[in-house]
Amino acid sequence: MVKITIDGREFEAEDNAKILDVAKSHNIYIPTLCAHESVSPAGTCRLCLVETTNKEGRNRVVPSCLTAVEEGLVVSTNSEKVVSERKTAMQKLLARAPESPALKTLAEKLGVNGTPLPAEEHHNCVLCGLCTRVCQEVVGVNAISKINRSTEPGAVPFTVNIDDCIACGSCAYVCPTNAITMTEVGDTRTITWPYQKQEFKLAKCKVCGRYWLPEKQIGYMAGKSGQPKEFFDTCMDCRK
Amino acid sequence: MENYGVYAARLASKVDGLAPGHRACIGCGEALAVRLACKAMGENVIIANATGCMEIISSQLPTTSWDVPWIHTLFENTAAVASGVESGLKSMAKKGIKPSKGTKVVAMAGDGGTSDIGLQALSGALERGHDLLYICFDNEAYMNTGIQRSSSTPMGASTTTSPAGKQSIGQKTWKKNMPAIAAAHDIPYVATASPSYPFDMMKKIKKGLEVEGPAYVHVLSVCPTGWRSATDLSVRLGRLAVQTGVFPLYEVENGKYKLNIDPSPLRPLQDYLKLQGRFRHLSEGTIKQIQERVVSEYEKLKQKCACS
Repeated sequence: MVKITIDGREFEAEDNAKILDVAKSHNIYIPTLCAHESVSPAGTCRLCLVETTNKEGRNRVVPSCLTAVEEGLVVSTNSEKVVSERKTAMQKLLARAPESPALKTLAEKLGVNGTPLPAEEHHNCVLCGLCTRVCQEVVGVNAISKINRSTEPGAVPFTVNIDDCIACGSCAYVCPTNAITMTEVGDTRTITWPYQKQEFKLAKCKVCGRYWLPEKQIGYMAGKSGQPKEFFDTCMDCRK
Repeated sequence: MENYGVYAARLASKVDGLAPGHRACIGCGEALAVRLACKAMGENVIIANATGCMEIISSQLPTTSWDVPWIHTLFENTAAVASGVESGLKSMAKKGIKPSKGTKVVAMAGDGGTSDIGLQALSGALERGHDLLYICFDNEAYMNTGIQRSSSTPMGASTTTSPAGKQSIGQKTWKKNMPAIAAAHDIPYVATASPSYPFDMMKKIKKGLEVEGPAYVHVLSVCPTGWRSATDLSVRLGRLAVQTGVFPLYEVENGKYKLNIDPSPLRPLQDYLKLQGRFRHLSEGTIKQIQERVVSEYEKLKQKCACS
């Protein structure tokens, strides 16, 4: 255990715990966009910046999701430096996705009014990479990956490998800015990513005739669970 | 509504406001519903909880399941206590005694505490426009005291105070439409939810907390003990209630009705009734009568959704 100070309050924290997690467990608010408790931190959104001073007196502004606690660390979550750096980070995100309602709400909460930077794109994606981490670490299919991150015009920053995608919708669920959406109409599930769109066929229950599961998931789930494929012929409610 | 399935479930919040180890019956749909609600609420919340199953099972001295500030209130004054807490927080922030941390106030009660005993306090709180969320966990009778009928008990259900027999079909009145009563107060947000559709439910609780002003969420919580159903069927019964049209999932946002899950074509009511012992005695005639009512109520709701 180590002792750290956050905003003037002293806490005991586990060795190697991240500052963000310690603050969260003591109800200290640090804004985040790309952090999620189920996946590894990436530090892409830069909103969770905090100012730290260690025992030797070294002063830094670091992303709290990636930085581990150490003995005697003094952390400030809303010093002048942090607020100004966070504002810059927010303005950059706003330039990336100026029309995102979720981002606008967060900006308002942080007291950032608009951005002086020119708008880069006109969709809601801020390239936080949460979907790619979820697809890899939680679902385990690795269908979404970041590629070609560059300032070149027309460079697509990430792609979805439709062959690998099982249409589970986890990326749509986790997306903090609603850049990925999922809709279901009749026998089709449509997932829309910022640069791609794909329709998936749904399987029909043999008893009640409702569409209940994407066909692509059947093979994947059968393989994972060891159940025969016929098990997925009937929906959960009709199964005896 | 999106059907997220098994993978997105792993991404749901790991915060547990209602800790395990409580004394709810096996297969309790209400404990599940409260747990999901707590996940959606997060930690910055104060809960006023009416007497009822959830209070009994979660707070037997000297233990407690609650990881958030929690007040046990009487049946009749849950909404009043919650409005007091909300006003207190507001007033303290105004006078500078304690800065506002955006703490949300939630009142929760069972169907008895909502539609029978606590109705006037609830109506008052909704009318005064307090910024609180009221959640009704409806298990369709006073289950905690031994399955007595409430005004939320559906037609034909056998309870200890409306027993079925030669002279009686069980409950002789239709279920009180509580969400409609709440919606009639013209509050910003009213919704019905079911723990069998967890993502939909968590979304509605979050929405209810976010809106300014009173919000009301009515949750159907399956009770295997009182409904005389198998304990492993609770989640399925919740889904069947939606798919048969008995308990459609909809929300009313600023007067606008929206059906969240369109179950049409409706499943036959028998699918839902046959799994429950409390409806076991019903004759085909009564079932037909209930089925007609369910369809007509559902059509009415659909019309409301189409109109707004």
